[in-house]
Amino acid sequence: MKIRLKLYGTLPAHYPGLYPDSGLIVDISENTTVADLVERVKLPQEHVAIVAINGMLAKAEDVLPEGAEIKFFQPLNGG
Amino acid sequence: MQFLRVNMSTESVQWENVAEEYAILGGRALTSIMINNEVPATAAPLGEENKLIFAPGYFTGTSLINTGRLSVGAKSPLTGGIKESNVGGTVAYSLARLGIKAVIIEGKAAAGKYFCLNIEAENRATLISADALKGMRTYALTKKLQEQYGDRKSITCIGPAGDLQLLSASIQSTDLDGRPCRAAGRGGLGAVMGAKGLKALIVDRQGKTPIEIADQDRFQKASSAYAKAVRADEFSGQILPEFGTAVLVEPINAAGAFPTKNARSGQFAGIDKISGETMARVIRERGGKTQHKGCSQCIIDCSNEFVTEKGDYVTSSLEYETIWAMGGMIGNDNLDAIARLDFLCDDIGLDTMNTGVALAVAFDAGYASFGDADAAIRLVEEAAAGTEMGRIIGNGPGAVGKHFHHDRIPTVKGQGMAAYDPRAIQGMAVTYATTPMGADHTAGWVVDKNLEAFGGTVNALEAAGQVEISRNTQIHMAAVDTAGICDFAQSGLATAEGIENVFTMMSAKSGQAFGQNDWTELGQRVIKAELAFNKMAGLTREDDRLPPMFYNEPLPPHNVVVKVSAAEMDSTFNFLRNDS
Ligand code: SF4
Repeated sequence: MKIRLKLYGTLPAHYPGLYPDSGLIVDISENTTVADLVERVKLPQEHVAIVAINGMLAKAEDVLPEGAEIKFFQPLNGG
Repeated sequence: MQFLRVNMSTESVQWENVAEEYAILGGRALTSIMINNEVPATAAPLGEENKLIFAPGYFTGTSLINTGRLSVGAKSPLTGGIKESNVGGTVAYSLARLGIKAVIIEGKAAAGKYFCLNIEAENRATLISADALKGMRTYALTKKLQEQYGDRKSITCIGPAGDLQLLSASIQSTDLDGRPCRAAGRGGLGAVMGAKGLKALIVDRQGKTPIEIADQDRFQKASSAYAKAVRADEFSGQILPEFGTAVLVEPINAAGAFPTKNARSGQFAGIDKISGETMARVIRERGGKTQHKGCSQCIIDCSNEFVTEKGDYVTSSLEYETIWAMGGMIGNDNLDAIARLDFLCDDIGLDTMNTGVALAVAFDAGYASFGDADAAIRLVEEAAAGTEMGRIIGNGPGAVGKHFHHDRIPTVKGQGMAAYDPRAIQGMAVTYATTPMGADHTAGWVVDKNLEAFGGTVNALEAAGQVEISRNTQIHMAAVDTAGICDFAQSGLATAEGIENVFTMMSAKSGQAFGQNDWTELGQRVIKAELAFNKMAGLTREDDRLPPMFYNEPLPPHNVVVKVSAAEMDSTFNFLRNDS
């Protein structure tokens, strides 16, 4: 099954050319979790602090559904 | 350093030595404690007895980075309580380098009279008649004053909204490029300035007065270490320069906490079109600036310059809060319209947040459909013109709700909420309800401590632990606003060594020992003065509540209401109230 992965913030700049604006289509097996995906695409774990699955914040152990849109954000702060 | 007291009734200025009790204060501590001491709490906010105080932070003017904050304080006509709103730009640094600890505006100009206050080196300050400038918008005004007085001036002014004494009127201040795009937006302080008959402060930027520092070497070492930490931090070093605070749009929406269509939902369907990433791409494609220095002594450059398709300047520093207020909150996914509304608010001198919430309430009541950006622009223009509807919008969400007999008014103490829904981030419910300031986010931003994805440790959708988190953050922020440190340079004090650097600088500057307890006590002292003032002004614990919509209407997608009880809200600052 396939999912679409988009990087946010300055993450794409770390991997120039690898992640088109429309997202990267990744082939995954069933029961792949957020943590598995981070490992699979070889992003340093500390760079991926915030993950959304289909527009909702997700946790490392959440399983990716078929056709999902996954967004990776780096650690943020604010105020 | 000195106080500059200006009496608008007698049209006189007076220089004063700083009284001992104010010596180690600055910024918010100075404005709040002084107002509590000098302004009768029952004073009419737009009357003669109220005072408007401008105070640079305690560190402003020193070599420490990102300390160009000016606190502006008064009794607020919007909340009926005490108010401190702070702004960047160049004015705070300029005042500090003229040796000025605070400018205190008292009295009220005679009917029909209007003034600018020109502050120059060597203790020269003059009130200059400005009757002809009344009604002028801020971009035209600052251009005119810079032509007249030279461009080495920092200008802090009001626009037509302040002249009309509308309750959402901001005080605008010039950035490093001389544009009046930095705002002390909250609390309607522009209306107080208008009521005093003061159109603008014109402040010489070339002051050279050294800032007294008891132990220069120690201060310097700590300030360099602090700057190094801010530079090294990824958020302040890389992300803020590229996206500014707009980087929060997507994640806060993903958290279901992005108040949409007058807080009917926590997620906005058009989020892709107004995200920080989209904004940065549009700015880049059009040849604007994603990275821009807004304030004196800044090494972060969170500001930006938004331009039209042709590359013409629209506005500077499109920020997260404005993208929300003029975007999701009114159902508008047109980034160009958001930028236009941001410019108009700066130009007219209106708080983008209170105005966006006012528009949202009007749209919710059926005045226009959500997403009608043209109606939003028309209404903001009407505020400048002072039409009946324009005045209602310019007086904020409460006035709009009253006019339309509409009961979904997301305010606390009369002030519109900020860009985090208190149902989806319950720590913000405590901050909005209990800060003496009305629904401000900067008074106690606890988003990071709520959302697990930001490193938070409590459940954002539950009450447990929220009071303590908000209390501690509010006390800490009261001290930060006293020091005059920009919010975004807080990466420098996020670690144990970081905050230790701040204590070292406090101690090195004042010549007194200073540690964590002193920092906490300082923050508590500020809030205590603010609570005491509010109590005397007639605000009660019932004012420390959110409006019914947040307790009664579950917010999609999490479908939760605020669960923090009234007793829990009261427990936040009971220990600082003089009646408990
Ligand atoms: S980070 Fe932004 S708000 Fe802070 S001092 Fe720099 S430009 Fe001003």
